[in-house]
Amino acid sequence: MSQPPAAANANETTGSLASGAASAPRSSIATVITGGLTPPRSPVGLRPHVVEFRNVTKTYNSGKSDQFTAIRDVTFVVEDVADKGEFVCVLGPSGCGKSTILRLIAGLEPQHPATNGDVLILGQSVVGPGSDRGMVFQDYTSFDHRTVLENVTFGLECLHMPRKQRDELGREWIQKMGLNVTTDADKFPHELSGGMRQRVAIARTLILKPRIILMDEPFGALDPLTRLNMQDLLVKLWKEVQATVFFITHSIEEAVFLGDRVYLMSNSPGTILEELKIEPATSSANEMQRQPKFLEAVYYIRDKITKLESNQ
Amino acid sequence: MNSTFLDRLLHNWLTLRKPVSRLQAVGLGVACILLCLTGWWLLTLGEYESRIVGPLTLPSPAETFGKFSELWNDFALTRNVLVTLRRVSIGFALALVVGIPIGVTAGCFPRVHAFLSPLIMIGRNVPLAAVLGLMIFIFGSGEKNKVMFIFVASVAFVISDAARAIMDVSARYIDTAYTLGASRWQTISKVLVPLAAPTIFSACRQMFGLAFGYIMLAESIKIADEVGGLGYQIQIFQRRGFREHIYLIILVIPFVALVIDQVLAGIQRQLFPHVYGGDGVLRTLVRVILIPWENLKSLLFHKHLASLPPAATDEGPK
Repeated sequence: MSQPPAAANANETTGSLASGAASAPRSSIATVITGGLTPPRSPVGLRPHVVEFRNVTKTYNSGKSDQFTAIRDVTFVVEDVADKGEFVCVLGPSGCGKSTILRLIAGLEPQHPATNGDVLILGQSVVGPGSDRGMVFQDYTSFDHRTVLENVTFGLECLHMPRKQRDELGREWIQKMGLNVTTDADKFPHELSGGMRQRVAIARTLILKPRIILMDEPFGALDPLTRLNMQDLLVKLWKEVQATVFFITHSIEEAVFLGDRVYLMSNSPGTILEELKIEPATSSANEMQRQPKFLEAVYYIRDKITKLESNQ
Repeated sequence: MNSTFLDRLLHNWLTLRKPVSRLQAVGLGVACILLCLTGWWLLTLGEYESRIVGPLTLPSPAETFGKFSELWNDFALTRNVLVTLRRVSIGFALALVVGIPIGVTAGCFPRVHAFLSPLIMIGRNVPLAAVLGLMIFIFGSGEKNKVMFIFVASVAFVISDAARAIMDVSARYIDTAYTLGASRWQTISKVLVPLAAPTIFSACRQMFGLAFGYIMLAESIKIADEVGGLGYQIQIFQRRGFREHIYLIILVIPFVALVIDQVLAGIQRQLFPHVYGGDGVLRTLVRVILIPWENLKSLLFHKHLASLPPAATDEGPK
């Protein structure tokens, strides 16, 4: 099955709906922006880019026999869209350096600092972690010794917000996450299911109103149905908080459903092979993900990955 | 048919890691005690000459327990237990007060750990008899040398156990705390220490049992006017040839240790409900006590959320 060069269709915004052909020339909801790297553009007006990577390389144990390059020459820009953050999904096989990119943005060691290149957040170099870049991990990282409410208000406690005020805010967010304020607030994490734990983890990040939300396969350990529910919840909340989201996943469906933009990454040393623009989701995860248009985009990306992999 | 019965019995009683009901657990423990007592009784049955084990080696149960009132009244058992407990408690508390902060620091900062590791190594392997002698040289006879002996014997273990517990907390909790805006100190005090606390408590509970054994050693050395203690009593009975009393004390010590251990276990349960379940009365108490302190900090250091970098929507366009 040969496909025409993707870049040829770069400027089309609407395509034919599923025509029944097994290999549609391009997907109807996914649009290829570049066949490779986004060239860094200068900021529009006064607004600096939310995230900018300039030829970022991370090499561990440089010069030793076990030298390992996690990502090489990664360059991309996430622009600050007025009144709306962007939802960026990073898609790639295990061990391709997806997490490295995320942890470089977060400023977490040992990925931070980068061996080469610049990692800029709103035009500033990353110097270390901070609550302006909240992160949700795949592993359950609820603080086991704290109740749900105490977990959700952890960041506010670190800001020394008075207890009454932060508990009020915490309860509000517990409610927003679809948890029960009266029965769940005083539970400990070990009494919760995986999905509920991730709700707590998301709540305690969003309560701090981060500018950028970093999510490292947050739904990777959840069962399929819970996963769909969490995707719906995330879309809803994201519209409310209007932050830029970086979402790592190896589920193509998840990336296509959630993302405004999808970065396809190659295997180690990781580098961004292609950038795709995706139309926003119009219905719930369960409905959306069975539409032919949606599936077409998924298959398109799957073929793309297969092709990119075999070219290496 | 015989074999099937045996099979069933084996299957029921010796299933791998099958939980035992509380009643059965207690029953089995009592059965063990009864078996030992019966053995003891059989070995020392009859007149002195006809016994399997002579009375100079092992007095009979009746002879031994018959001396209990003497031990209790004439030899002031409770006072001696309390004297011993006081010494070991002060020495061990000192080891906790010094050892836990040092251990936590070492666990948080690998450089501090590397710096202290020779001292920890020496402390963990120090010969106790030598320490006892040194303590007497340094602190003279009396209470101080015993308290310091317990301190020196246990502090290195407290440090290394606390450091290990902190190091065993997964790094992902540190990452999480940092991305939620916690400072380094907040990460230590609000995340690392509380997450390691149940492990540290368990280790210390076990070590207290060991320290309780060490104190007997310290008390059994008589230098000047001694003021009692179980170890000292054992020494006296040994010199006078009171075998019954020695056996009684050997039986009393595990009982005292059991009571202490149960008290500590209770404290542990109430302090860490996220590990052991229950209402966590002590945890609540600790939090209530800390409220004024927290309010004071809120008053002094409260940073408003709005002071964080505003989202794109909050800014004017272009």
